[in-house]
Amino acid sequence: MAAYFRPTTLEEALAVRAAQPVTVLAGGTDVYPIRANKVGWGDMHRDDVLDISAIAELKEIEQTADRLRFGALTTWSQMRRADLPEAFAGYQAASRDVGGVQVQNRGTLVGNICTASPAGDGIPCLLSLDAEIELASARGRRTVPIQDFITGYRQTVCGHDELVTAILIPRPPAGAVGDFLKLGARRYLVISIAMVAAVIAADDTGVIHHASVAVGACSEVAKRLHDLEAALLGQPLASAPDLIEHAHFAALKPIGDLRASGHYRDSAARDLVRDLFVRLSAEPKRRAA
Amino acid sequence: MPKVSMTVNGQAVSADVEARTLLVDFIREQLRLTGTHVGCDTSQCGACVVHVDGRALKSCTTLAAQCEGASVTTIEGLAKGDDLHPMQEAFRENHGLQCGFCTPGMIMSAVDMVKRHGGKLDEQTIRHELEGNLCRCTGYHNIVKAIAAGSEAMTSSGRVAAE
Amino acid sequence: MSGSPETGTLDPQVNTTGELRSVRTSVRHDSAAKHVSGAALYVDDVGEPAGTLQIAIGASPAAKGPIVGLDLDAVRTAPGVVAVVTAADIPGHNEISPVGAGDDPLLADTKVLFHGQPVFIVAAETREAARRAALLATIRIGEAEPLLTVEAAEAADSLISPDFNIVRGDPGKALETAANRMSGNFPIGGQEHFYLEGQAALAIPQEDGDMFVLTSTQHPSEVQKVVAEVLGLPINAVVSEVRRMGGGFGGKESQACQWAGLAALAARVTGRPCKLRLDRDDDMVMTGKRHDMLARWQVGYDDDGMLEAADITFLAKCGFSTDLSNSVIDRTAFHTDNAYFVPHIAARTKRMRTNTVSNTAFRGFGGPQGMLAIEHVMDQVAHRLRIDPFDLRMRNLYGPDRDVTPYGMTVFDNIAPEVMEKTEALSGYRARRREIAEHNAENPFLRKGLAITPVKFGISFTATHLNQAGALVHVYTDGSVHLNHGGTEMGQGLFTKVAQVVADEFGIDLDKVKITATTTAKVPNTSPTAASSGTDLNAMAARIAAARIRERLTDFAAETYDSVAADIRFRDNQVFVGNRAVGFADLVRQAYMARISLSSTGFYRTPKIHWDREKGQGRPFFYFAYGASCSEVTIDTLTGELRVDRVDIVHDVGKSLNPAIDIGQIEGGFVQGMGWLTTEELVWDAGGRLRTHAPSTYKIPTSSDVPAEFNVHLHDGINREEAIYGSKAVGEPPLMLAISVHSAIFDAIAGLAPPVVAIPLDAPATPEAILRAVTAVREARP
Repeated sequence: MAAYFRPTTLEEALAVRAAQPVTVLAGGTDVYPIRANKVGWGDMHRDDVLDISAIAELKEIEQTADRLRFGALTTWSQMRRADLPEAFAGYQAASRDVGGVQVQNRGTLVGNICTASPAGDGIPCLLSLDAEIELASARGRRTVPIQDFITGYRQTVCGHDELVTAILIPRPPAGAVGDFLKLGARRYLVISIAMVAAVIAADDTGVIHHASVAVGACSEVAKRLHDLEAALLGQPLASAPDLIEHAHFAALKPIGDLRASGHYRDSAARDLVRDLFVRLSAEPKRRAA
Repeated sequence: MPKVSMTVNGQAVSADVEARTLLVDFIREQLRLTGTHVGCDTSQCGACVVHVDGRALKSCTTLAAQCEGASVTTIEGLAKGDDLHPMQEAFRENHGLQCGFCTPGMIMSAVDMVKRHGGKLDEQTIRHELEGNLCRCTGYHNIVKAIAAGSEAMTSSGRVAAE
Repeated sequence: MSGSPETGTLDPQVNTTGELRSVRTSVRHDSAAKHVSGAALYVDDVGEPAGTLQIAIGASPAAKGPIVGLDLDAVRTAPGVVAVVTAADIPGHNEISPVGAGDDPLLADTKVLFHGQPVFIVAAETREAARRAALLATIRIGEAEPLLTVEAAEAADSLISPDFNIVRGDPGKALETAANRMSGNFPIGGQEHFYLEGQAALAIPQEDGDMFVLTSTQHPSEVQKVVAEVLGLPINAVVSEVRRMGGGFGGKESQACQWAGLAALAARVTGRPCKLRLDRDDDMVMTGKRHDMLARWQVGYDDDGMLEAADITFLAKCGFSTDLSNSVIDRTAFHTDNAYFVPHIAARTKRMRTNTVSNTAFRGFGGPQGMLAIEHVMDQVAHRLRIDPFDLRMRNLYGPDRDVTPYGMTVFDNIAPEVMEKTEALSGYRARRREIAEHNAENPFLRKGLAITPVKFGISFTATHLNQAGALVHVYTDGSVHLNHGGTEMGQGLFTKVAQVVADEFGIDLDKVKITATTTAKVPNTSPTAASSGTDLNAMAARIAAARIRERLTDFAAETYDSVAADIRFRDNQVFVGNRAVGFADLVRQAYMARISLSSTGFYRTPKIHWDREKGQGRPFFYFAYGASCSEVTIDTLTGELRVDRVDIVHDVGKSLNPAIDIGQIEGGFVQGMGWLTTEELVWDAGGRLRTHAPSTYKIPTSSDVPAEFNVHLHDGINREEAIYGSKAVGEPPLMLAISVHSAIFDAIAGLAPPVVAIPLDAPATPEAILRAVTAVREARP
């Protein structure tokens, strides 16, 4: 008979984690559906369950002068409603379209990255925000940049004795705005065919001094488009949609699957980035806070 | 087996459950409250929506054990005796159902929606918020109408604040 | 009183002995209060008898091949397992084909024919235990090359039955002589039913080896027959019952039988009650869907766009077995004309046997594919000739002197032209056509499209013998009425409508009529609730049963109160005998004391219909139901994304029995059809595995997919045939109103293309399919 652990402190949780193989449970919105699929039943039966949802210290969102810290139990709903800098607008928009309200109430940002699906909506947002992932184990704590955290299709660097405790995001540059777009068979309650997140900052004259652009669902792991970012720097924001070149997308290797062919994804990704730049350049001013 | 204790529809309940028992199975099989339905087994369809501590959740994405100490409301707990809740009445009145299988989840989501928006619900908000509830029969038209009517009835009867 | 031989002295169109108080009103669904309070019971909600076992299915891991090894030892010894059952345990026939085709095993025996085919079942103490155990089997399948597409099946000449064609004139010659010709291939996708309540059955052993089955089915008599055959029992040893389904849509017509049969088999083997509820993945993998087809079309037309000849061949993917495919695909041929007169026409159908799940009935029953194909041809011709597609369609409709279908039935009730014109007017089509042209001139990327398409749908089972129904009505001594009939309730409001009719027959309030579960023990040998005919058949049968009792009460009252039958009226819970009023319950009590029978069966068969399939001639339909819809869409030509902006519908339900229920059917049917033509895409991989086997990957419409503006009008008319109170069937026809969405997408893309370029827009028009068509059109630019 499998055991069920529901510790109230991180310390206890890490002790459980180190002692035996467990299925880690926070919101449960991915764990349960996988349970319903046949491969998953076996796993759920074999592993004990470590339910971290009662650990109070993982529930906080903290903002300091130089960074924001989202505890591992931060839900999509909390993200959506939080008062955050404009650079988070994309992440918040992504939160609004994940799964539907009931899943947003339960599902966590950290769960989304631990599942490490190529179609995880939060991952390109975190890439565009230069996020770092904080992990803890009985051995201590460490932080890993998001691009190093996910290593492949549903693979992460999280060790068998570790838990992700928080997402850390440096405070974005002044004036930075973020946005997010995704393409699915429809816009919501759907696993995305392609998605793009960007954070761009321009100075008073409209010249771009910070750009980060990430594309998801178009490769095994979501990717930053560094060549495109470099091409944007020093250019007027209004010209951003016209600066996009085919070569900027070379880092992507779109996967053909049941949701869309690779060719369609490739073309859709470029159009999505263009759409997003049009939106960002059309509304460069901050929305009323 | 862990023992869980919670309040369901105002009644204290307590039972030994297997660690992995989903809340929906606990409600349906142990408590025999079968108005909460299982439609898709994969957290998509919303037929299993209940309220846990006042928030709408899909009960197929929650373990019974995780609801230790929680207050759970199911579709059976909405009516006060023979008096239907205004949202239930609105679904009945506005033909917001056909086969009825999705209806309990729809109503639970609708009540939650009204409470969160304080009764100020426009059609677009209703549609967006209903995206986690699938219906294969109605075309949603009457469901959206029913929620708008139910929202008004809840507001005017003061039930938004009361619950 | 008038009346046909089928209805005795009753006039189907009017009530001459009372007044209509329930009929024609929008009374609520009979179970509405139970649905909103969670008290309505589905199969899985009914309390299980003590000792009930749960069943899980062991499925084929390959699409085709001999079963060369089946090791179930680990399954048998798994915790909680009570029995493991294979084909060898079947006491009767291992065969469940609804048409006696002999190609539909309950459990695969020596070979498997599709990926996911049930091979064995496990009965265990809990669902979890059964499912976990089922995974422990080792099933080894020998190598064989599966046929997964209609093209592959065509090359291998793999058919479930011979081709069937409906041909008029000489399409070959007419195509040669026509002023203009076009041709193309049009792939049409299938559709998963996604009834929200999955397939479920609970079998409870009875004394004498009899079996009781509670089942979620549209066809309890078929379940009864299958269970009897599987168990080797006479049919009278089995009772099958269904109170309601959480949706059916055709998916529980023939294909509920397997799950009921397996539950009954397990109950026989274990001697305990057994329940089988398919989880969603299994349901999607193991049950058939709407047939996907490939339509190869040729059309000949004059310079005004009048069709002179059309020759369309449909390659239908039937799957591994016959199931209902022959009737389904016959209906494709019947509806290839839709509402149009084409002098020389051929609808040719090829029924391909493939190594995929056996496709089955789905709302529209083959009709949608036939109609979509001819509408696609209309769109192509209009584009080629630069004629407004609405004008082209109007020109080609059935009309005076062009009113005979290719199968020789006169379109005697043709209202397609007026329904189309009404839709044009109510939607403001002409003005919006201009606005859209302006919008498109200014917007290179977001393009709009607009289209109006008609529906003409034949009502009756094309298997003529199925057009019969029975009912059973009892009146108890307190004046309360017990109503039972062969129809099943799946949300369509059938039970409500039949109860309305019975209440008015007795002149009593609706709440005096108790609606009861459909059971083979009360009304035998029933037809499936399908072909939109549930109300036409069962309301008439129930009315006949009630009328018989009313006639006895009338005679009794005439004798008792010294009056004549013509002076007696039933209304408002009273019986009026001349100037005297007697309470209905009082009269019933008096009649009981006088030993008058207060129970009756009723039987109805649809008159006038006949069909000679050999000759391809006859009157297969009692009448036609009509409708038209106007859809406006916006597409993003960069991503292929789609939004349906506005829909206007005019639909013909004759004189409605219940306007609210009918409008609900229209809205729901439209949105379901829209899903079929836009987001719902079935994907199989190279090994024949269904990849879209859950709602995470298979996308039915949600609340936000419904058009922002959605106007539904009932056409004001009466059924010219003698159907119940002048109403018309409404279950299936509205689904095909959604074809205007596909045509509107076509229209949006057509604006990008010169007339010489055909538009390769497949169905479903997913974003990818739309972008593919846009790209093809752009690349084809001269």
